[in-house]
Amino acid sequence: MSDDGTAADAGSASREGRLPGIVTRDGDRYVRVTRGLELPPRRAALGLLGVILFVAVPDLATLSPLLQLQVVHQGVLFGLAAVGLNLLLRHTRLVSFGHAAFFGTGAYAAAILATHFDVTSMLLLLAGATLFGTLMAGVVGYLSLRHTGLYFSLLTLAFGQLLYAVVIGQGYFGSSDGLSVRPGEANQALLFGVEFGSEAYSVIVYYLTVLVVVVGLLVMWRVINSPFGNALDAIGQNRTRARFIGIPVRRYVLAAFVLSGVYGGLAGGMYGLVQQHVRPESTLYFLRSGDILFMAILGGFQTLVGPLVGGIVLVFLQDVGRDVTSYFDALTGVVLVALVFGFPRGIVGSLKRGSPFRERLGRLAADPSLAATWLRGARDAAVAAAYRAGENLRILLFGVN
Amino acid sequence: MTQDTPTDEDGGMNRRTMLAATGGTAVAAALAGCSTLLGDSGTQAQADDADVPDEPIQAGLQTFTEGAAAVLGLQAQYGAELAVQRINDAGGIAGREMELETVHEADAHIENYTQFVDEGKEVTFGPISSGGHAALAPEVESQGVVNVSTDGTVTTLYEETVDDPTYSFRFQNYDVMECVTAAREAVSRFGAENIDTIAGINPNYAFGQDEWKFFELAMNKLVDGGVETVYEGFPDLGATDMSTHITEINNVEPDVTFSSQWGGDVTTMMNQAAANDMFDNTQLVGTVLYSAVDELERDVIESAEAVSGSRNWYWDFPNRSRWAPNGDTFSDAREEWDIVPTAHFMSGYGAVTAWATATAKLVDVIGGWPSQDQIARGLEGHGFYTPAGYHVMGTGHQGKSNAFSGRMEWSEDVGAAVLSDVNAYAPQEVSPPEGTTAEEWVNSW
Repeated sequence: MSDDGTAADAGSASREGRLPGIVTRDGDRYVRVTRGLELPPRRAALGLLGVILFVAVPDLATLSPLLQLQVVHQGVLFGLAAVGLNLLLRHTRLVSFGHAAFFGTGAYAAAILATHFDVTSMLLLLAGATLFGTLMAGVVGYLSLRHTGLYFSLLTLAFGQLLYAVVIGQGYFGSSDGLSVRPGEANQALLFGVEFGSEAYSVIVYYLTVLVVVVGLLVMWRVINSPFGNALDAIGQNRTRARFIGIPVRRYVLAAFVLSGVYGGLAGGMYGLVQQHVRPESTLYFLRSGDILFMAILGGFQTLVGPLVGGIVLVFLQDVGRDVTSYFDALTGVVLVALVFGFPRGIVGSLKRGSPFRERLGRLAADPSLAATWLRGARDAAVAAAYRAGENLRILLFGVN
Repeated sequence: MTQDTPTDEDGGMNRRTMLAATGGTAVAAALAGCSTLLGDSGTQAQADDADVPDEPIQAGLQTFTEGAAAVLGLQAQYGAELAVQRINDAGGIAGREMELETVHEADAHIENYTQFVDEGKEVTFGPISSGGHAALAPEVESQGVVNVSTDGTVTTLYEETVDDPTYSFRFQNYDVMECVTAAREAVSRFGAENIDTIAGINPNYAFGQDEWKFFELAMNKLVDGGVETVYEGFPDLGATDMSTHITEINNVEPDVTFSSQWGGDVTTMMNQAAANDMFDNTQLVGTVLYSAVDELERDVIESAEAVSGSRNWYWDFPNRSRWAPNGDTFSDAREEWDIVPTAHFMSGYGAVTAWATATAKLVDVIGGWPSQDQIARGLEGHGFYTPAGYHVMGTGHQGKSNAFSGRMEWSEDVGAAVLSDVNAYAPQEVSPPEGTTAEEWVNSW
């Protein structure tokens, strides 16, 4: 659960101690998680705290009605889809506006298997969701990746909306009412053939999600710290040069696209299990794709766990926002604007060591009188801006200054 | 109440007969809209031996408080609020007042319900959305806190989605009832022999597709030799341009055009239809056209002469000057929210009333506060009054009420459209008997 892959160099994986534990290198001690993933003690402690919090959510959710397990759970799942999207965004610098397509495909694959084929096993439903999400990513990727930049983004958007339109128009997919994920006699999906009560079900599915997310993050970490991940970085920085040094650009980008689809499909399948009902608006509509993209940016798309944090925060904001204000959509808009201007690196990105935000915090802690200086600076900047605006207005109106 | 209710010597109803007629509790009388008839002593003394908690009843309602669907959603919210207000004015249920919290249903029906349950709500109401209701009902069954839905009237809910419900109830007439009402209206007003061709303009989602299916099915049964469908159009929800559908209707000139559009879509369609003289070429019959009452202009209403259903309540039938419960409810809605109350107002009002009257009755029977299971059992087959008349919550958890329909006309006096020449259809005329699916029933005619 580190926040990116800079902790250790993947190429210099130690040969000693294949098991997780404490390793010593150059007099510094590191906590070894898996091959190549070695963290400084402080960061390991943070990661451990994150995992503990993550595991404790069902207990924390009982403390206040404001904190709903189901809401956090949804946030985690959309966050997982955002982690997949981030592979494209962060490394190949491709912006996909259609990622809900894979999330929705996964969710609908689970719902169709449950409704029309009465598949009761959770694991089979998830496998089906992942498979169909991956296939869909293969098809959409193959057709969209002929283009780059804006054209690629618009193509992904178009394919996403195409899927949405197909689902809305077909009774087989439950049209706008959606399909339930309540197969069999028990009216719920079963884990190893065991039936659970309503509350137990949601907790069990949550822990299944925890497992999937932890494994998913470790896998993603391995991928981005592998030669393949480095090649993706190279492609993102300069396609032409990447092709010149022999990287099969199209194949690699398609592989990355499909891999991000795997995450989307898996997350969608889990979502189907959690909600037990899948509807087109919440899984396939293009605004969902926007949400997933926003989550990655909100959490910090230059980090590994940022999109996950972004997912939890955004879904939580949207849910609690409805209790607090009727302008809850504006609330997320304001957060986005504040983010772009104030914290362009996102939540996790801003808290990382070496970020401008952390550096400023450090300076403020060392010398609290700085706050006054900054406020004065802000005031002077505002006055100067107002003066410039007045000047521009005069020029517009009278043509002279 | 009925014509032959025993009266006291001076010809008016006395308190005892009034209470008996409405269900035996002051709450039931107040919700029937008869509190004025009860006089000042309308508050209910708590039974001495009843073991009832002191704290107020916490209730939750989810409905659309914003966006296009708020046209219906706010009406349901106001109706529910009026019912709660009347319960509290009558001294609460067995002395317990009621507090209602409303939340925007968005796309989070299950989350809203779960949060209500976590907050300790004793009952929940809503939602408006059919798809949302299909997602919610199984969750209500597994969490076991009674939900009486205001709308979410999808026909298959208690036929397929939850075919043996315990805690999930629906007050408002469901979709098949308003489609059959519209079909019966078309035949009775214009004559089966005058209807050979029909067309439909319905919203492009599950609700609109289902409504059209049932209307078409019913028309083919009601007209000897069947009818010919000459056009079916499905504009998207919130479409700003319906001219292609209107042009097509003008080309094929069907005898009857059916529309299940609601809210803002009705306004868009009727304005554009009037501008293109569509009403010269066809007769419009709708299920809830009247839901757009606050937006429709005089010239459009007058050129359309459309027939609109009004689900289980129309505020001026029986006429409010002769039927005090309608008069009071209409003026309360006008004064407090500045609206003409529609059938969706009654959705909210009636959902709260169904639960409150059943619970009040159970307190009397049990001598204590009933559990969720007891309330759920008590609601099955429970009959109660609202200003709309008498309702029965069926044993299959579907509320059944009279269905109303009339011709839309402009009223100077109200400053909005009214329904004139209203027809009322008893539930057995427009809905299947318990245990029969809607499709089986219509096919069996």
